[in-house]
Amino acid sequence: MNTTLTTVPATTTPAGPAHAPRQLRWLLRLHRPALLAGAALVLLTGAGLLWLGGPLADASAAAWKRYNACAFDERCSYDQDAVIRYKDVYNYTTYAVLAVPFLIAAWAGGSLTGREMESGTARLAWTQGVSPARWLASRLAFPTLAALAATGLLTLLHRLAWTGSEDRIDTALVWDHYPTFYANGTVPVALALAGLAIGVLAGLVLRRAVAALAVATAALGALWAAVHTALPHLWPAVTRVTGLREGPRGEGIWAGQGVLTADGDRLDAPCLTSMLPGCETTLSDMGAVSFYRDIHPAAHYWPLQLVASGIILAVAALLVLAAFRLLRHRTP
Amino acid sequence: MTVPAIEADALGKRFGRRAAWALRDCSFRLPAGRVCAVVGPNGAGKSTLLALAAGLLAPTEGTVTVLGTDPATARPRVGFVDQGKPLYPQLGVAETLRMGADLNPGRWDADTADRVVAGGDLDPRARIRSLSGGQRTRVALALALGKRPELLLLDEPMADLDPLARHELMGVLMGQAAEHGTTIVMSSHVVAELEDSCDHLLLIGGGRVRLAGEIDDLLAAHTRVSAPAETDLAPHAVVEARTTGRRLSALLRPSGPLPGDWRTGTPSLEELVLSYLRNPGALAPAPAPDTTETAA
Amino acid sequence: MIDYRIDRHTGVATYVQIVQQTKQALRLGLLKPGDKLPTAREVVEATAVNPNTVLKAYRELEREGLVEARRGLGTFVRRSLGAAPADSPLRAELEEWASQAREAGLEREDVAALFTAVLDTHYPAHTPDPAPAKTSEGDPS
Repeated sequence: MNTTLTTVPATTTPAGPAHAPRQLRWLLRLHRPALLAGAALVLLTGAGLLWLGGPLADASAAAWKRYNACAFDERCSYDQDAVIRYKDVYNYTTYAVLAVPFLIAAWAGGSLTGREMESGTARLAWTQGVSPARWLASRLAFPTLAALAATGLLTLLHRLAWTGSEDRIDTALVWDHYPTFYANGTVPVALALAGLAIGVLAGLVLRRAVAALAVATAALGALWAAVHTALPHLWPAVTRVTGLREGPRGEGIWAGQGVLTADGDRLDAPCLTSMLPGCETTLSDMGAVSFYRDIHPAAHYWPLQLVASGIILAVAALLVLAAFRLLRHRTP
Repeated sequence: MTVPAIEADALGKRFGRRAAWALRDCSFRLPAGRVCAVVGPNGAGKSTLLALAAGLLAPTEGTVTVLGTDPATARPRVGFVDQGKPLYPQLGVAETLRMGADLNPGRWDADTADRVVAGGDLDPRARIRSLSGGQRTRVALALALGKRPELLLLDEPMADLDPLARHELMGVLMGQAAEHGTTIVMSSHVVAELEDSCDHLLLIGGGRVRLAGEIDDLLAAHTRVSAPAETDLAPHAVVEARTTGRRLSALLRPSGPLPGDWRTGTPSLEELVLSYLRNPGALAPAPAPDTTETAA
Repeated sequence: MIDYRIDRHTGVATYVQIVQQTKQALRLGLLKPGDKLPTAREVVEATAVNPNTVLKAYRELEREGLVEARRGLGTFVRRSLGAAPADSPLRAELEEWASQAREAGLEREDVAALFTAVLDTHYPAHTPDPAPAKTSEGDPS
């Protein structure tokens, strides 16, 4: 039979650059509920952080001022609720900021690729004028921007709220309190991007939504744990040397401590001051001349944050590469 | 006709290095404009073959050429309906078609897509997740037809449809073939439902091509015979032979004139297919006429 | 216009059924010279048969000189068949005879047997046709 071809020109290029906005529109449509829920979470946490850094911090600071002013007056009353409210909201919002990367990993693994692979809708997309590589790119591009915006905004607001409490609130958490350390910096942003990459890859590999959701969340946790373990060694630490009676000293993030011998050897400390019974003998038997402690002072905050973020981003980039290669290997 | 719709050469696919071959040594050529039935038992490799042609799977070995090019390049000109009829459950019917129009700019045939859906008395606002299997099939077919493909690959397209919808949608497919010369390849394990609509056959069993060609030619090349028991059927190639009582009935590929005292008849497509499937040892007709192998 | 009805269980090839039904319509005057046959698309949409089957049937009709394909326009009837249009006096007489037979208490099978017997007497040397024995071909050519 002869082909009486269509009136539509058969030469139309089906996937040009103008294709990207169309794909984005449908990606947004398909994930509308998740997007709305995510936006609500970010707005709620953001609003909480603004409240925390403004009225709550002021009220708590005022309460502390009054408490300190009349510390020894039994009849003195101060607004204890304001102090507790500040502390509670601080904890909630900090953990909310740190949870965002995990939510992104779970969504990416479960919904973004896992469910599409499981139900076969990925194949549907691939036969609807969207090549597998484009499909994957569309599932990485916009979510990357959204994850950047969400975590960038939240960590910035967290930092502002935390800075506003410095020197005003006696129970405000110090910079090296780990949740505070992370929530104030760039690590959550990097973790969010890594979570997206891990989720997308897990969905492609496992082809099961629930499995990919679980594996992606656990894998992101493992990545963070590994970076956390390595954190003190990601930047050269400062060594503080102290006398044997004084014991090791120094505030900040510890990288290690022990005793120094006359030759400069570093040994594990059997005890932490020569004033303890038996300790002096032990220390002199070892030839210890002083204690030392390697620490990261507050000045190391950004170097540590940036190196940790860089490592996480490098892992994320490798995972994205692996996802593209896997898809390339599976489809022609 | 110039460029074949599909040309497979020693095509093979297995999922994993230690897994069994889902498809192997698959070589055939499907001319453009044909309506081809891909038949075979469940698990024969039909779905794998269709996915390879649709550019959804990379072959492990061999090559497949689609519309004169590689499957990935041909993808925009190929329509595909997966066995499970995957669709986005959260979208509505009309929305799904709008997505098809959006993702296939310049090719979309809204009239055909709308007509396929309209035939099913579907509420355009109904969510995909609320549809029955047959209704989903209708929407999936509308998506595949809407992109006005030159080659349409359908994996078990009629399985979920009631007889009325089956007839109607098969009519729509045939109309596409008549109007646009669309090549249609559809798999099924029910031969009878394809017999009137298809003119080309690809019989797959155990991951291999057992029989391929124009249905008329294949039927003409085979003869159903009934002869006295203990008749020597040589030198004709025997696909299947059975003795019941004092009669021997067999399906042959005659290699010359048959004795006049044999009762002969033309097999139906279903008889032909079943005979080959029941006898995995029977070899497909070779291109050369001197086929001497026999199997029972 | 003609509606083809394909019966899958007669054992008659589909294209032969289309040829026969077209001839039947020509014979009954349902199709007249100049009438357009349905397009292949219309036929396959209604019957779900392969387009090539319809084209094969149309080619067969063309070969017999009954229809002609006009490029880009469609397939048209060239000449009618037989002399028994649906509204001929012969038909009216047959109608009358049939109602008499019915009044006389003849069953459908009785009438059919009678009719076939008479038919065989008057059209003896007819070659067997692959058609179902509903109507004899009686090709006048």
